[in-house]
Amino acid sequence: MDEAVPQRPLIDQIVPMAVLRAEYENGSASFVKQIDYLVAQSFTGIRRTRGDGDCFYRSLAFRYVERILNSPDPAMSVGSAISTLDASLPMLEAAGFQPLVYEDFYETLGAIIKRVVQPDDSNATLTSSLLLEAFQNPEVSNSVVVFLRLLTSAQIRTDPDEYAPFLFHPELGEPMTPREFCETFVEAVGKEADHVQMTALARALKINFSVAYLDGRSADGHVDFVKFNEDVEDGLEPLVLLYRPGHYDVLEKRTEELPVVG
Amino acid sequence: MAGIASRRLAKELKEIHTQGCPVGIQLLSADNFEEWHLSLEVMGDSQYQGEVFALKFRFEPQYPISAPAVQFMVTDKYKSPVHPHVYSNGHICASILGTEWSPVLSVIGVCVTLQSMLASCKKKERPPDNDRYVRHAPDNPKQTRFHYHDDTV
Repeated sequence: MDEAVPQRPLIDQIVPMAVLRAEYENGSASFVKQIDYLVAQSFTGIRRTRGDGDCFYRSLAFRYVERILNSPDPAMSVGSAISTLDASLPMLEAAGFQPLVYEDFYETLGAIIKRVVQPDDSNATLTSSLLLEAFQNPEVSNSVVVFLRLLTSAQIRTDPDEYAPFLFHPELGEPMTPREFCETFVEAVGKEADHVQMTALARALKINFSVAYLDGRSADGHVDFVKFNEDVEDGLEPLVLLYRPGHYDVLEKRTEELPVVG
Repeated sequence: MAGIASRRLAKELKEIHTQGCPVGIQLLSADNFEEWHLSLEVMGDSQYQGEVFALKFRFEPQYPISAPAVQFMVTDKYKSPVHPHVYSNGHICASILGTEWSPVLSVIGVCVTLQSMLASCKKKERPPDNDRYVRHAPDNPKQTRFHYHDDTV
């Protein structure tokens, strides 16, 4: 890392899509067209993450908790998320991870989710701004990222037949065993996620999400949305990420943070 | 609440004390959550029969999210093993300690990996750039951006 370049926060406040558009206005017309397409689909805002290789996991995690926070029935959404996560712990063990390896990370994620309905030590339940604060704190934010990496890895390792045909070295193109793939490209901090990791994590968390591919390749400005685990119906706001070559952010249907109520 | 490194290291230490270390690995000192020393011996047939090495682990507050700084100790008592990935100042060129570090690894996990790296050594020799590297090496091996000699360790 070049220390002289000021770094973007791990995850930032929502800004209007116009901010992203401005960055492409003097460069790529096809990106601008695609951004306009997204705005027309009412994706008017973007929450950006730092490009540190953890951006997929961090974007997804933030939005995963934010949807629970904004749920019409938060208590039920918290309960269902916690029960899914608790039920995934035996899978982590089956994948060969000792409790020592995952329990601190799980505790961190579990505590944030539970805080939606239960006040923490400071007697405050989670708000949008406290959620952002938590995800901007490297220790909390990275712990959550690591837990999602372990979940993704365990999902692949414990269902090798399902994933093995899709495990290739991202640069060399050679097939890899689930173990090699997971050690090198899932568990290792800062390694970018690809389609396989995304599929596995959607299944492990029992959520559906989609990724809008902003790649500048479409002549008419159309943007492809790739859906993961689309059969799952959870009654929550959609979780949509924005992909630009090598990077993920969160797409939002609003141009700024929700006003603080009460 | 204690930081993430102390929480994790406290658990690792407890496990070492209750379950012991794998054969050939011993805890020399772990009096704080900043620096631990362990000894390492390769068991069975190997290039390093009869040699005992010592590893120094240094932890940042973000361990195990950030990799520990790990090196072989070079003291009156301990020498750096002669190995194609180990410099004479004890620094180790291994991707698991750099770009492929994962929080799944633990102190003992790193020791076991390095033990098997030594065990599989066919020819005792220093990395080709040893002299040049050692002359300018930083105190902390994590400040070096190694070009990994191969990706098998």
